[in-house]
Amino acid sequence: MGKTGFGISGERIAAAVGAAGIGKETDMSERIKEHPILGVQEKGRLVRFTYDGKEVEGYEGEPIAAALKAAGVMVHRYTRKEHKPRGIFCAIGRCTDCVMVVDGVPNVRTCITPLAEGMKVCTQYGVSEKPFEEQ
Amino acid sequence: MKRYDLIIVGAGPSGLSAGIEAAKKGLRTVVFDENEKPGGQLFKQIHKFFGSKEHRAKVRGYVIGQQLLEEADEAGVEVVLNATVIGLYQDKEVVVKRGGQIEHYKGNAVIIATGAAENMVTFPGWTLPGVIGAGAAQTMMNLHGVLPGKRVLMLGSGNVGLVVSFQLEQCGCEVVALVDAAPRVGGYGVHAAKVARTGVPFYLSHTIVEAEGTDCVTGVTIAEVDNAFHFIPGTEKHFDVDTICLAVGLSPMSQLLKMAGCKMVDDPKKGGQVPVCDPHGRTSLPGVYVAGDVAGIEEASSAMIEGRMAGIAAAEFLGYIGKDEMESELASLDKALDGLRQGMFAPQNRGKQITETEEGIEVSQNLLLHGYVADDELERYPGVTHKAGVHPVIECTQNIPCNPCQDACKKGCISIGSKITSLPIVVEGSECINCGMCVAGCSGQAIFLVDEDCGDGTATVTLPYEFLPPPEVGTRGKGLGRDGKAVCDAEVVSVKSMKAFDKTNLLTIRVPKEYAMKARFFKAV
Amino acid sequence: MNSVNDRSRDIGPFLPGPDDDMIICRCEEITKGEIRQAVHDGMWTLTEIRRYLRTGMGLCQGQTCGRLVKGIVARELGISPAELEPATSRVPMRPIEMEVFANEVPEEKEVGSYED
Repeated sequence: MGKTGFGISGERIAAAVGAAGIGKETDMSERIKEHPILGVQEKGRLVRFTYDGKEVEGYEGEPIAAALKAAGVMVHRYTRKEHKPRGIFCAIGRCTDCVMVVDGVPNVRTCITPLAEGMKVCTQYGVSEKPFEEQ
Repeated sequence: MKRYDLIIVGAGPSGLSAGIEAAKKGLRTVVFDENEKPGGQLFKQIHKFFGSKEHRAKVRGYVIGQQLLEEADEAGVEVVLNATVIGLYQDKEVVVKRGGQIEHYKGNAVIIATGAAENMVTFPGWTLPGVIGAGAAQTMMNLHGVLPGKRVLMLGSGNVGLVVSFQLEQCGCEVVALVDAAPRVGGYGVHAAKVARTGVPFYLSHTIVEAEGTDCVTGVTIAEVDNAFHFIPGTEKHFDVDTICLAVGLSPMSQLLKMAGCKMVDDPKKGGQVPVCDPHGRTSLPGVYVAGDVAGIEEASSAMIEGRMAGIAAAEFLGYIGKDEMESELASLDKALDGLRQGMFAPQNRGKQITETEEGIEVSQNLLLHGYVADDELERYPGVTHKAGVHPVIECTQNIPCNPCQDACKKGCISIGSKITSLPIVVEGSECINCGMCVAGCSGQAIFLVDEDCGDGTATVTLPYEFLPPPEVGTRGKGLGRDGKAVCDAEVVSVKSMKAFDKTNLLTIRVPKEYAMKARFFKAV
Repeated sequence: MNSVNDRSRDIGPFLPGPDDDMIICRCEEITKGEIRQAVHDGMWTLTEIRRYLRTGMGLCQGQTCGRLVKGIVARELGISPAELEPATSRVPMRPIEMEVFANEVPEEKEVGSYED
């Protein structure tokens, strides 16, 4: 953080987190520590929740999708017909692409649902948390 | 069923402004908003707004949001959040989902201020995670403090695409390219120029061929398009990116009005389906008003005025004010709105190709094609003058309704005159005291303080700098040209930060004097 | 009679396109080819397309694809998108569980304000 990444020399910032998988539990490289205009943003307390059974940390009250993005998660669900991956698209609760199974409830819009301690967040396959081959 | 004098749907700039105006006139007013936080898109806007003082120019969007909320609170407007209006029925019945329940309300008057939704474009791979709306990027970085991506390609050169590109850079993302299928930059030239000088290449007449990746975006290919928007073979360019950001326009979110039975019209100039309404927001249904983007896509500044108009019209409709009072208030707001709807980007000029400024100066073609004014185009603008010692160089080349620079200089060095869209001029014989207020006060970041000849073969350039961390005095690096390419060696000689600059740092760099009119950004090496 | 209602008009045969497999309706996973084919099957209004293919009937209720579908249908009919009547707007405007939709709150529990 803190660098402005001007493309002057075509330099590349190595991707700190992998693709569909999950980053390190407390990898904060996706968080903006200090913003030149907004300063340091106030956050709720750090809480733990699970993503597909793995323990992850996020800030209480932030959207589940923000916590997952900060943890490097890109894929929220696989579609019913084509089994294609989807993730954050509109981030304001309109497009419903970021839905996941949260505490057993499918189709939860993670971009507008506040994170709470101990939440069980699962990738949604169709409308289930079970992978297609187990459905 | 509970009844209010006025029910407003949407707590963005227009809805809040409408509520403030109505509540001040005594109307019992409630604003429902589906979001957890009020303010609509204002809290994602971190740049200084254009306009004049009355239009809150020079104030950053999120600060305007805070001001509106305070005013709404003082005026006694009830703002109900997490309240999704799911229906608007006959006789102004409003159905609201709150928590796990459905509630019904009746308004003696209703103002719909639901704003707009983002348009999207399709290309192979557009459903991959990592392809996001520009609004999503703003939401993630400016509201939630999370990076939308690390390497981003922006599609869309309208103001949203330009502003969001700059915001992405401000939080540390690399914008690898700004792409638009249109042959010319759609947004304000000054917004484009501040992005271009940081090194973002512009690809006009280009669009996305394909987003690559299996489970999420890992790359993107763009290609040039011809006049009929067909790809030109052999022009493909590839970028490794993790994020593709779409900023391809907005559509009014007018479904509630259609549902209620308002007369609608499809108006491409307004962005899609809008209610038929008069200049003050009265729809075909008595007592139902509209304000802001839902009535036609414009800027937040005009949305706030439209909101006030609708609030006043509703107050008169319900008998809280007389016709005379309404008409005199609306007349002054008409004037204010007219002032904003001037210049090259005014609604009536949408889609027109403008080749000359109001002053009869040729418009910079390089700005429209590449995002920055070319060295050989610059001298023809009235803000670009030369003299001994430190003086302002105003690289403002398009007629837009904005004049904070004129007030910023206490020495009267800068003049716009009575017409708000006029290009600023440097007043002859005026004395610049190098205070920097004009540099920090220009919403377009288009003013530089230049000493073209310090007497030792060097020149100094003071430029606005809104990135972290600001370089320290003594840092050596490169002076970047308006195109973002390194043109010369540069050394930071001063970094000024003051409350009055409102978070815009002033960076002064020393460069060889032949680069005084060329170096416009700094990059440490 | 406008060009949408005049069903006797010849719009020519369905010609396969290179991007026919592009997903347009993200929720229901309906492709451009399916939408174009539906027009040739006689579905000339957005309401008909919606009922025939379920475009815009998924979780997001057409928030993203509405405008895209309109453009595709208009092009296939050889008219301007502005000539096409948008699909009907209905309650609820946002996805909502049936248990919530059916849960009408008693009046006394509604937020503030005074009685009728």
